[in-house]
Amino acid sequence: MTGLLDYVQGESFLHRLNPLTKLVLSFALCAAVFITDSHLIIIGILAAVLAFSAAAGTVSRSLRILSSLGKLSILLFIVQILFVRDGKVLLHLPFGLVITDSGVLFSLLFVLRFMTATLPLALMLAVTRISDLANVLVKSLHMPYSYAFALTTAIRFIPLFAEEMSGIMETQTARGVEFDTKNFFKKVRLLLPLCVPLLISSVRKTEGGAISAELRGFNLRKRNCGFREYPLRVADVLAVLFGVAVILTVSVF
Amino acid sequence: MADSLLKLDGVSFAYRGGDALQDISFEIQTGEFVALLGENGAGKSTLARICNGLLKPTGGVVTVGGKDTRRVKTSEIARDVGFLFQNPDRMLCQNTVRGELMFGLEFSSVPPEQHAARCDEMLSVFSLDGERDPFGMSRSERQQVALASVLARRPKLLILDEPTTGLDYRECMTIMDIVSRQNAEGAALLMITHDMEIVADFARRVLVLSRGKLIGDGDMRGVMRDRALLSSASLLPAQIPDLAMRLGGAFGEAFTITDMVKTVATLKEEVRV
Repeated sequence: MTGLLDYVQGESFLHRLNPLTKLVLSFALCAAVFITDSHLIIIGILAAVLAFSAAAGTVSRSLRILSSLGKLSILLFIVQILFVRDGKVLLHLPFGLVITDSGVLFSLLFVLRFMTATLPLALMLAVTRISDLANVLVKSLHMPYSYAFALTTAIRFIPLFAEEMSGIMETQTARGVEFDTKNFFKKVRLLLPLCVPLLISSVRKTEGGAISAELRGFNLRKRNCGFREYPLRVADVLAVLFGVAVILTVSVF
Repeated sequence: MADSLLKLDGVSFAYRGGDALQDISFEIQTGEFVALLGENGAGKSTLARICNGLLKPTGGVVTVGGKDTRRVKTSEIARDVGFLFQNPDRMLCQNTVRGELMFGLEFSSVPPEQHAARCDEMLSVFSLDGERDPFGMSRSERQQVALASVLARRPKLLILDEPTTGLDYRECMTIMDIVSRQNAEGAALLMITHDMEIVADFARRVLVLSRGKLIGDGDMRGVMRDRALLSSASLLPAQIPDLAMRLGGAFGEAFTITDMVKTVATLKEEVRV
């Protein structure tokens, strides 16, 4: 099973785009989500990203990401809705809390932004090899290789750490620690000691990675070391224009 | 008939990628020492996780101490089943060895007033310093701390997932001696291993898994002699039984070095006479 941020093998038009184009497009879609205040436009962008995912063959993964974000979104929605006091009061709650129409709209906008802004970046990672991303950052954006390496390593380590945490939780459940409890606060209290093995394992992995990178001549690498070329094609220009058009549209409306 | 601690009846399990286990049925009774063998990817670790409720079967029924694992929380099953994973670092989360053992006992059915005594007992059995930091220890010592933490709970069934991987012979024997003692005191053992010498020396019953199917279940000597069965799971018999089978005759029953030495001594006596 692949993780939610792993590369998914494929030959779709999104896979074939220049990695830089995909990066620009995903940032443009994210920016559009934050520029607009319209719920409908954000839903439209979400639908467009899901359509792109379907075209790239990663729609089930995008839906899994949405489902995972959904749980956190419910919590964020509840917190937001209770703290916005402007607008017409719809409901009075105990302890002086109120639910207002502005609160509902703002909370909904907040949650929609949160969910929609995450998807383009996840989709970009699904259709772009991490090594291609690092190479294009170095070659086209002239980013120092050590910075590009740090960035891509951080992305690559997210699923590794998630897998490690899942393994740690499995081991602890097998020794009787009640992670299968339905009490949220108890679960959080039980999770805290597990940061220790996760931290130890992270440091060990990072140290191992650093040593092996050194042994392979990490410091000798220069901007022109990569043999792969990333030319801009017509499809890339069209994709960038699409991103610019989205930004302009949401800025106007 | 002895009590059935673990019972699998027609158990199947599938990951997203396809079937991992198909129609597995067996029982483990109190005091048994069972080795689970099979090639890499045969489904051994999946089967072990099914046995303690970490994974729920997609078909069939698994009962531990009479409780259906689909209806009981894994943390509750853990009160009766101890599980030692290959990687001890996923278990250790306290600053001292003593803290680690006490943390494990906190989630057991052992009464709190007995925790300190159990902890001291395990520190003595494993010759461990309770005040040491587990993360500063060697791989073998960390594995011993993890095992001590599991054994302190005195589980009725102990599942060991390749407990001797990466250990030298002496460290390996230390761990095997301790788990054998637990077995002699009544705990049932299910041990996944690739080490056929350990199987020949310690196990009394062997389960052979290949491509998710249970292709062999019998007493250790019978399985060790069945070359065709072992070969279909990409296994070879342990060296002493292999040599004994090749020599045949009086050597046919030898399964350990001690057996072999005894047979040679007897034959030497006979030649002298």
